[in-house]
Amino acid sequence: MEEKIIGIAGNPNTGKTTIFNALTGSKQKIGNWPGVTVEKKEGEYIYKDIKFHVVDLPGTYTLLEESEDQKIAIDFLTRNKVDVLVIVADALNLERSLYLLVLLSELHKNIIVDLNMVDLLEKEGIDYDIGHLEKLLKVKFVKTIGNRNIGIDDLKEEIYRNCKEKRDEYLEFNYGAEIEKLIAEIINNLNFSSAYPLRFVALKILEKDEKFIKSISNLIDYEKINQIIFEIEKKCGKSIDRILIEKRYAIIHGIVKECIILKKRGLKFELTEKIDKILTDNLTGPLIFLSIMFLIFCIVFSIGNPIQNLLELTIENFRKFLSYFHLPIWLDSLIKNGIISGVGSVISFLPNIFLYFLFFSILEDTGYIARAAIVSDRLMHKLGLHGKSSIPLILSFGCNVPAILGTRTLEDKKDKILTCLSIPFMSCSARLPIYILFTGIFFIKYQSLIIFSLYLLGLIIGILSMKLFGHIFFKYESSPLIIELPPFRMPYWRNVFIDSWMRTKYFLKKAGTIIFSGSLILWFLSYFPNPSKYGTEFNWIGKIGNLISIPLKTSGFGFWQAGVALIFGIYAKELVVSTFGTLFGTGNLQDVLKGYFTPVSAYSFMIMSLLYMPCIATFWILKKEIGFKWALISFFWSLLIGWISSTLFYQIFIFLKGG
Amino acid sequence: MKRLSEVEEGKYKIVEILKPGKTKKMFNLGILIGDEIEVKKSCPGPVIIKKGNTSVAIGYGIAKDIIVEKVE
Repeated sequence: MEEKIIGIAGNPNTGKTTIFNALTGSKQKIGNWPGVTVEKKEGEYIYKDIKFHVVDLPGTYTLLEESEDQKIAIDFLTRNKVDVLVIVADALNLERSLYLLVLLSELHKNIIVDLNMVDLLEKEGIDYDIGHLEKLLKVKFVKTIGNRNIGIDDLKEEIYRNCKEKRDEYLEFNYGAEIEKLIAEIINNLNFSSAYPLRFVALKILEKDEKFIKSISNLIDYEKINQIIFEIEKKCGKSIDRILIEKRYAIIHGIVKECIILKKRGLKFELTEKIDKILTDNLTGPLIFLSIMFLIFCIVFSIGNPIQNLLELTIENFRKFLSYFHLPIWLDSLIKNGIISGVGSVISFLPNIFLYFLFFSILEDTGYIARAAIVSDRLMHKLGLHGKSSIPLILSFGCNVPAILGTRTLEDKKDKILTCLSIPFMSCSARLPIYILFTGIFFIKYQSLIIFSLYLLGLIIGILSMKLFGHIFFKYESSPLIIELPPFRMPYWRNVFIDSWMRTKYFLKKAGTIIFSGSLILWFLSYFPNPSKYGTEFNWIGKIGNLISIPLKTSGFGFWQAGVALIFGIYAKELVVSTFGTLFGTGNLQDVLKGYFTPVSAYSFMIMSLLYMPCIATFWILKKEIGFKWALISFFWSLLIGWISSTLFYQIFIFLKGG
Repeated sequence: MKRLSEVEEGKYKIVEILKPGKTKKMFNLGILIGDEIEVKKSCPGPVIIKKGNTSVAIGYGIAKDIIVEKVE
């Protein structure tokens, strides 16, 4: 069967994902763009006699290589053979989408414009003369309403027809005599053959796209070109990149004006404005924001936890059920202690992770994320963060994994890395069982106060680390907020579910593999060389625990059981508790722990558990989102800061007590 | 003429942008010098402006470099 490649491009908030989902259905997969940590979505469908591979490109406004997303879009469009490029345009923001169309046309691509959300045109009381638009812009237009599946067949038909026809006419804007002369002059100075059309290269140089220019700097005589640009800028007193942008918008504005059909005024979007007034108000805004986040936690807690408990119970029963088979002892142990524990910890994660993904999707789909960024921008900015960091940071108190995934809304890479580095310090719900165990023994009177102090400590350490890293690595100043506020809309459930399901599946597949192999290693260390003494000091794990306990002495808990518990906590932090349960064997765990810990060393241990390192799942998602190097940095940094904090705390208290 | 970070809600025209490098993203969103905008929410906190069907929130760091003029 003939195969074709379709690219889907467009501004953010134009319903790109909806169109992608409508075209490919559930036949899609999530991955990463090679070499970078930006998410890549691909899918496929068959129409008539052609199989179409669809690639969803990151949403962009321009083709400047200023963010990773945009670089990917350009790289993909220039390096790969794309048979048809569909630009999804928001019908109500046509000019901006046409801006992207103009830029992409310079790359000589076969383009179709998908005028999406046309139902909103009626509300607004306008329409477009499509025939005229097509004539002026030399591309085909298709009208769709993505979330109601209207027009998708027309789009498929148009894509099909485009694949069958050969095109040689592309839209080229005339920027006026002076600039055209300049473009010609630059092209004359470009004596090389490139993957890009020369006119595109010339325009890129004029736009002063520094990263692009750098990438071709050995091929051009930049000094000479710069001289030419300098002269023309002196003559008109404006920077040339600004002139280009203004020219393009002026021409587009003219075209749209010529093609717009004004009908009677329809209903304006007063509702969105009214809601916005409340949501972004300096007083009610933060209140609503906090209430929404609180509500999400409550719902996840009340739905997710029972499911999680049920899953854990099922796994536990399965473990008991296996005992009836009288397997060889080693196999029995491998399955029960290794495989089931590993799979169990992955599975018990799932309900909560899915729910957080789901809520995050809903917040994104309704357009609330942008409002939350506005509300928290001032506070976040004072902390050296971007307004959009607030939601991931809050989510991280539930679970670090979806929180880190949530940082993908941060466009600036520095913002993203720094937010990701601070997230593992936020006390997720898996750490709570540890606090409950220890405070229940040593701090019964002040239980909630002590637990609260740990949450606060995590927050403070997270922010301080971020400031420190920002200072060391980036000479950091958080990028100022500038975001578009998409109109509110009801979440499109199909999108929301496909989105969160795909993510959960991806997490399950990838994190599952790592956690699973990790659990096999841990089992191996616990089982050998003394199979009868699983997970004790007579086995390798105990020896490692002993080794680890040496530096732990300064923190007040230098015994091998603590070392082993902390190792198992890498799986998932709540395992610290169950490991203590196994290691101290029979008898009342609370009484036994009283023999090992004092209130001071217990608090010190809780500090350690809070800070010492991200769990495997968090580590993996960090690697995926910000790269291996940063994940390692996060790993070692938290190990160091965990040890320093608990040691400092313990030593100071011992000193005060003694003195 | 005033800075966008200092104005009340109402209709304005963008007269000048002091640090064009920093505001490239605004141009990309289709908001240009000479455009008429409506300020929907003023400082403190990000300013929300509206041009046509586009609403954009602009943080103080950028708003202070945008010079606007009241439109009656």
